[in-house]
Amino acid sequence: MSLYSLEGVSKFFQRGPTTIRALDGVDLVIEQGEFVALEGPSGSGKTTLLQLLGALDRPSAGRVLFEDRDLAALGDSELAELRLRSFGFVFQQFNLIPTLTAVENVEAKLAPVAGRDPGMRTRALALLGEVGLLDRADHLPAHLSGGEQQRVAIARALSVEPRVVLADEPTGNLDSRTGADIVDLLAGLAAEHGATIIVATHDAELASRAPRRLAVRDGKLAAPVFG
Amino acid sequence: MFYLRYLRNELVRRRARTLVTLLGLGVGVALVIALAALSSGLDNAQHKTLNPLGDIGTDLTVTLQPQQSQSGFGFGGPGGGGADRDLIAANQSVITDLSKLGKPGQHFSHDFFLPGSQLTFQQSAAQQVAKLQNVSQVTTGLTLLAEHQQGIVPKIVAKFKTGGQTFRFNRNIPRPTAAQFQQMQACFDKLRKQNGGSSGNGGNGGNGGGGFNGNGGGNGGGFFGGGGADRGAFAKCLPAGLRRIRTQFTTPQQTLKQVLDPPQTNIQTTAYTIGGVDQTNQSMGVVTPAQVTKGSFLSPKGGHEALVSTAYAAKQKLKIGSKLDLNGTSFTVVGLVEPPLGGQSADVYLPIKQLQKLASEKSLANVILVRATSSSDVSAVESEIKRALPQANVASSKDVAAKISGSLVDASKLSHDLGLLLSILAAAAAFLLAALLAVSSVGKRVRELGTLKALGWTQRLVVRQVAGESLVQGVLGGLFGIALGVAIALVIDAFGPNLTASATTGGTLSIAGLAADTTRTASNSVSLNAPIGLVAILVGFGLALLGGLIAGGAGALRAARLRPADALRQME
Repeated sequence: MSLYSLEGVSKFFQRGPTTIRALDGVDLVIEQGEFVALEGPSGSGKTTLLQLLGALDRPSAGRVLFEDRDLAALGDSELAELRLRSFGFVFQQFNLIPTLTAVENVEAKLAPVAGRDPGMRTRALALLGEVGLLDRADHLPAHLSGGEQQRVAIARALSVEPRVVLADEPTGNLDSRTGADIVDLLAGLAAEHGATIIVATHDAELASRAPRRLAVRDGKLAAPVFG
Repeated sequence: MFYLRYLRNELVRRRARTLVTLLGLGVGVALVIALAALSSGLDNAQHKTLNPLGDIGTDLTVTLQPQQSQSGFGFGGPGGGGADRDLIAANQSVITDLSKLGKPGQHFSHDFFLPGSQLTFQQSAAQQVAKLQNVSQVTTGLTLLAEHQQGIVPKIVAKFKTGGQTFRFNRNIPRPTAAQFQQMQACFDKLRKQNGGSSGNGGNGGNGGGGFNGNGGGNGGGFFGGGGADRGAFAKCLPAGLRRIRTQFTTPQQTLKQVLDPPQTNIQTTAYTIGGVDQTNQSMGVVTPAQVTKGSFLSPKGGHEALVSTAYAAKQKLKIGSKLDLNGTSFTVVGLVEPPLGGQSADVYLPIKQLQKLASEKSLANVILVRATSSSDVSAVESEIKRALPQANVASSKDVAAKISGSLVDASKLSHDLGLLLSILAAAAAFLLAALLAVSSVGKRVRELGTLKALGWTQRLVVRQVAGESLVQGVLGGLFGIALGVAIALVIDAFGPNLTASATTGGTLSIAGLAADTTRTASNSVSLNAPIGLVAILVGFGLALLGGLIAGGAGALRAARLRPADALRQME
């Protein structure tokens, strides 16, 4: 059983009189444990594809199968459950809750799972330790650097032991040095936790770190270009 | 728990927005509470002041006002002939011969007591009322206008008669037709033959014929004059249209003018009001022990004691133990009173027998106070009294209260009319503000809330979080509003203005063109207070909660429309 199986997936957006084809007939298979880069310029459809893979949105046409389950057949709360337990997201703009400290931001992903479990705090701190930010546990995002914020986001994404970690331009708001560190961290931790990583990026340098590179052009998957 | 911490963090760290919402809700609640307290305070004050008769154990007052006499016909002067006569007769005592007060050049001091427009009647008339159905108790009172005059007896004193002035009146009388004239002539001849002899005025016809356009003439002049006995008989011969003319009447009009317009001397006049109360009746009277603020009520013996209103005592610098000299008799002030407004209030009160003696109105009263057996019988008793004494003027507490005006009445009306409206507007404004802030806040947190959804938060969880924030703000706003509302009410209590209620009764008396002011005005001053009611507080708090819920609902609706993909929005 493949982790993901996409068959003829399309996504259209209506902008007034025009229809924008963000994705047009995408076929894709991703196996468990892969590190895949979706590489393409902005507007290529890579973010849209990531959204569909992460169950953030539904396709307009075609099927997205995750562990042989058709995501289109799932209701909103089932999708939410999937997002909660099976996926972990990392965003370009970090997307930390500004009024929560670092450890509380990690707990934000754990709370719906852990409920009143007192071990929740311990787990969150452990994850922060894995990204090397234990001493920053009580800092608000405003008091963390970009790299630190992204590390908190990675801890958050991994806190529930997800099947898949999806990252949308994770280094987009970071300098190249920090960016490289982040990618290494992400790849390392994902391997440790047994998670599949799918990264969408326009950065060729970042994409080259992934064993599997997929080129996305105008809503279609182009032939892989290595080099 | 995580969610509570998140909620607390949200409110604490987004301080400005939280404070504005709290303020808005709080002010709305405070206004509701304060306005309710104010309204309650005004109601209390109004109740106290505007149930004037209740305070003196009375449901109805019965007085006698000068009436237009039904029989004759007025001579066209103001007030009508009948009313004038009553008024003048009642207020006779002011028509005095100044020479009676002492020798010219001598100093005199005298108090005149006048009933004004509230005419006097026999005290026994009260018994008529007492016999009516549903009447529980009846008592009488005597409230008079007092004029204190002092000065030097003038050298030139106008001597005058109180009668004998013949009134000449010019009026066009329709001339009798020839036929009527013939008839009259025949009738007179017949009468003369009947009466036998005298008045052989055969030629009167001639006189009469031309003389109708004019003067009634002097004594006995014209046809119809002369001799009372004949007058009646002759009148029988008149055609209907002429029968109603009277040729003669005397009026003390001239007399009055001379007295009320005395020659310029050193006479000082001060006016006040004085009431006679049945001191043996403790529960009912023009003033009762319940109105005593200092000292004691009149003792049942009814000796030379007096009560003085607090306002008058302040004006005249009187206190308990002061002596009042009224036409030679000394009265001791035994108590200060706060008489109720309307109608029968006075500056000085004496036992009624003492006042009757002073005013030479023995056995006379000018007001009957009536208590009905129960409040539902009051209007029935009112109709009965009007039937039994048709000339009487019956007033109930409501009638008296209707005459009361002043800032208290105005404020009460304002509070009733506007108070409720303002409260509703205040509450509505507060809700609107809270709702707008909630919605706008969600709008600012699109990416944040979208991220939560992307992390796996269900719709329900996100909505619950947002609504919870608004609810907590509602509670906090309510608490703040209660504190503020209570504070405002306390400030009103401590620094509130004094409101007045005053009642003016009587009016300007016009006697044949001369005006005399017989108004009595009594005023009560009430300090404005604002008692805080538990109900108002609970309502206010409930409103704040409601505001929080409404705001929460509005925010939640907005939040529910967010999509997880909003987490990836680039603008913000």
